Amino acid sequence: MSLRAAGIEHGYDGTPVLQGVSLNIDAGEVVGIVGPSGVGKTTLLRILALFERQDEGTVTYDGTDVWTATESERLALRRRIGMVFQDASLFDASVSRNVAYGLRVRRSWRERLRSSVRGAVRKNGTPDAVREALDVVGLSDKTDQHAPSLSGGEAQRVSFARALAYDPDVLLLDEPTSDLDPRNTSVLEDAVLAASDRNIGVAVATHDMHQARRIADRVAVLLDGRIIEVGPTEQVFENPDDIRTAKFVDGELVY
Amino acid sequence: MSVEAAVDIGPLIVDLSVGRGPLFADFPFESQYVTSIIRVSLYVSGIAVFLSTLVSLPIALVVGFTDFIGKRLVTAVINTGMGFPSVVVGLVVLFTVSNQGPLGHLNLVFTKEAMIISQVILATPPITGISLAAVSSVDESVRDAAYAMGGTRLDVALVVVKEARYGLATAVLAGFGRAISEVGSVLIVGGNIAGANGISKTRTLTTAIRQEARQGRYDTAMVLGAVLLVLVLVVNALVMRLGDGGTVR
Repeated sequence: MSLRAAGIEHGYDGTPVLQGVSLNIDAGEVVGIVGPSGVGKTTLLRILALFERQDEGTVTYDGTDVWTATESERLALRRRIGMVFQDASLFDASVSRNVAYGLRVRRSWRERLRSSVRGAVRKNGTPDAVREALDVVGLSDKTDQHAPSLSGGEAQRVSFARALAYDPDVLLLDEPTSDLDPRNTSVLEDAVLAASDRNIGVAVATHDMHQARRIADRVAVLLDGRIIEVGPTEQVFENPDDIRTAKFVDGELVY
Repeated sequence: MSVEAAVDIGPLIVDLSVGRGPLFADFPFESQYVTSIIRVSLYVSGIAVFLSTLVSLPIALVVGFTDFIGKRLVTAVINTGMGFPSVVVGLVVLFTVSNQGPLGHLNLVFTKEAMIISQVILATPPITGISLAAVSSVDESVRDAAYAMGGTRLDVALVVVKEARYGLATAVLAGFGRAISEVGSVLIVGGNIAGANGISKTRTLTTAIRQEARQGRYDTAMVLGAVLLVLVLVVNALVMRLGDGGTVR
């Protein structure tokens, strides 16, 4: 699996946000996309997740240009990609129903209807994939809990489990731990590493350099809509090519 | 109800002297007068609200989800529609179905169908307006989450409907409340007709209350009013219960 963005240019209302960004995410690697707030990290992830079509450039998945593919092909490609947002945005339903959602939309309407009818008559058991995904984030004891009653940290972990449950090839995480306490952050970081062990390619957008250093195999530094540096994590941190990277790593303002 | 019990109710016994028989003795439950009125009311308002919901929900979803030129105008029209005077709607519908009107050939004057038409017109704006508010209040991040997990546009719309279920239930209730408690248009297009056998043809709870009150039969009018209140309360409770049932599954 390889998700590849090449020469991406994108803007809103005439204001350029991304200017010639290229990045690839391969199976089993964790790519940290780092940079201060407002440099276009979210926009880049939304383009990689096929939420938006870039103004210029190409996004390819295993060599297939996603935007020249047919709509059904694109849906199939989109379903190989998972995305987790800064806020959990859980549905007003039980934890297990939240986590099962991705599996549910992948089934035919007939199967969905049958499972709903069965669920109305007697309680459906929690699918294995749902239990496993919740296990990864340490919440397998919360399957029946009402999602809105979870704490912020737990909600974000469920949000991660939602993306993991349908076994994507790529996971895109947009500042997944920026609102979390250290314990929940640590659980999520472990979950990211567990995902990469499953050969899932992960891209994490973060403004937390330390987090990038802890979990990323490679780091791409995004500044003012451009990737100014990309390389193995240690190299970027220890021996950066760009003076602005060195400053950002040292915690100085670079924007 | 016994005659003795009725006699205790002082001033209303005036009725006895005008030859209408003892109070309550002619209370027309036996002749199915009240039950037929309830049936007509529920039938007309139920079908009208059902049809209105079928129209309103897709409009609310489309207007709530998409940006287009004139969206504000559409929203303004919907909100204005909530204040449509029911007598004017009745008048327009009556003209439309009358012999001079475009639907004259369907012979709908003073029928339940004409009443349904006017109630659909009255119930659609509140149902659409409140549904639109409910749908718009679902956070965009919830839609994004559904889409990110591989949902199609239809899947995302269904998630929004589910998330907005309390608001949508409120919308349907508001529409039902407006329809069943409305008197102006059903009186004009339905004609408040009951057969000689006392069975309602187009008489609803509201038009019957008006009729009974005008003829000084306050007791019957009060009972009909209580029935109307209980009906609205029961429908409220049922719909809210339905909305509750979907919370955790």
